[in-house]
Amino acid sequence: MKARDLAYETFSALDANRGRSLLTVLGIVIGISAVIAMTALIGGVKQAMIGELGLNQARLVYIQCWYNRSMEVSDVEALEAEMADDYEYVTPLVWSGTDVISDTEKKSASIQGVWPSFFEATGVKLVSGRFFTEQESDTGALVTVLDQASVKNLFGNADAEVVGKTLRIAGAEYLICGVTESSGAGGSNPDYVQLYLPFSTCCSRVQGFTTVDQVYGFAREGSDMDAVAQRTTDWLARRFAVPEDERENAIWVYTMASTIEELNSMMMSFQVLMTSVASISLLVGGIGIMNMMLTNVTERIREIGLRKALGAKSRDITRQFLLESICLTMVGGLIGMALGYLGAFALSGLAGSLLGYGEGTALTPYLDLQSMLLVAGICVAIGVVFGYYPARRAARLDPVESLHYQ
Amino acid sequence: MSAPVIDVRRVHRIYESAAGYVHALKGVSLTVARGEFLCIMGPSGSGKSTLMNLLGCLDTPTLGTYLLEGVDVSTLDDDELAELRATRLGFVFQSFNLLPRATVLRNVVLPLTYTDVPASERRGRAEQALAAVGLPQEFFDHRSNELSGGQMQRVAIARALVNDPAVILADEPTGNLDQATGQMVLRTFRGLREQGKTIVLITHDAEVASWADRTVHIRDGRLLTDEEERAAVAASSTRGRGRT
Repeated sequence: MKARDLAYETFSALDANRGRSLLTVLGIVIGISAVIAMTALIGGVKQAMIGELGLNQARLVYIQCWYNRSMEVSDVEALEAEMADDYEYVTPLVWSGTDVISDTEKKSASIQGVWPSFFEATGVKLVSGRFFTEQESDTGALVTVLDQASVKNLFGNADAEVVGKTLRIAGAEYLICGVTESSGAGGSNPDYVQLYLPFSTCCSRVQGFTTVDQVYGFAREGSDMDAVAQRTTDWLARRFAVPEDERENAIWVYTMASTIEELNSMMMSFQVLMTSVASISLLVGGIGIMNMMLTNVTERIREIGLRKALGAKSRDITRQFLLESICLTMVGGLIGMALGYLGAFALSGLAGSLLGYGEGTALTPYLDLQSMLLVAGICVAIGVVFGYYPARRAARLDPVESLHYQ
Repeated sequence: MSAPVIDVRRVHRIYESAAGYVHALKGVSLTVARGEFLCIMGPSGSGKSTLMNLLGCLDTPTLGTYLLEGVDVSTLDDDELAELRATRLGFVFQSFNLLPRATVLRNVVLPLTYTDVPASERRGRAEQALAAVGLPQEFFDHRSNELSGGQMQRVAIARALVNDPAVILADEPTGNLDQATGQMVLRTFRGLREQGKTIVLITHDAEVASWADRTVHIRDGRLLTDEEERAAVAASSTRGRGRT
């Protein structure tokens, strides 16, 4: 029997029992929609995280160490040189603060002294101008980069053309060479100003000393982040001569990947829970399908006998009934996917506020092709598993007896 | 003369039932020539349906051989038997056995879906078969449950014809029809016989049997000659009179 004939038979058989078929697939619909809603919500959370953090974050390692002394630039340079296999670059940060004066405003600013590689490592995006160069960084040039929120607070308008203008910081004139996207850290606070200065400039002119507050390592692509973190810890322990039992207190190496990992595993366990609830529904639904298919076979014993008399082989009959049950579960699955996806939208506001994304920032449910294919596969599998017995039973019927069945 | 279409030699069929073994056919031998219209006549319980199921390859003999177009059916497995039914045999049933919600054309095409006749040829062949049984074209797209009994049986005959079988097997084809409609259906069979089709028809009705070229009688699982049959009928009617 050809595929087209099979499809025709299946369609007309299901069409004949429309009401009953729809009721029977309800269990599948409920199970699948629960799985899909959950998957789409979790997918949405992941998407939101990736969007918020940027992909670079996964390769970022936060490093701090304090044992008898703070980290110095020389430590950073040594780390970068000696762990070149693990890190594309290692870059220091120093926090400072002082007053900043523009043409019109005077604000108290938070200042970060960084190397140019900091921008690449953290994935900060430029809106206009440029970051400062290696040379400017090395020579302690009087240049600065600030974010759009700071531009707004210093110049009255976030889109003001400020590249080339100057700011007065700690008694010196600084050339604004670039503007970055707003980090969002200050929110809409009108007094918030955040500037980047070259590390050496910041140390010598603002801070007055050369210790490093925080170190960022940007791991090479495809690195095993846990292993990198472990090697970094070991390196620091050697360099600072930290005894084994002091390591925990003195060294702090932290990867974003591990946070993402943690969140992932938390969501996974949530999903596993949800999936096991859903699979009970799918099991019940599958049994319903089997029940309906058995009824179907009994109702159509004469038809089966006739088909056999007309030359249908056992496998033709098996296929016909199997395809019917697969179709049922697939229809249930499709309805379930649609309902689940809609349900995810309904729940997204709730989930967003639960996860601390705030009121207005409902996350968008996200469903990737892979999960949809997986769900489709599950539907087919349920159809096969629960349709096989009725289909075999139909195929094994004796043609003579079934033709005369009353 | 060519080899017979049907050649049954000393065939036995023994069933196992709740009441013990049932010896339904006891050494039946029968040949049907190509183009012959044969009637198998017998009362209910005589084994005629069992014989029909054997001839139709729905069942296999317990003992003996059955050659269909020279092929020994007992050597075939289930799939090969199905193949044989799909390509070489056509069935007509007492209760029509049409798919009620499907159209006339769909019903007639059904056997072809179990053969390798290409989809493009099917409709043409179904229309031809329907023309051969004289069903007007306006009914082709009707659902089969909208037809009268006589029309349904003609659709069923067309379905039996559509794969151009070696033999058409009809089991009490007029049993569910009134006299006039039954006559029309029998005329249809007769017409097919004139076109060279081989037909085996089962009935308990002598009037129906009179349409055939030849009639064999079956009684208690045995085929009888005409004389034996007359003697048997006479004996049973005597017994019948004696009882009243």
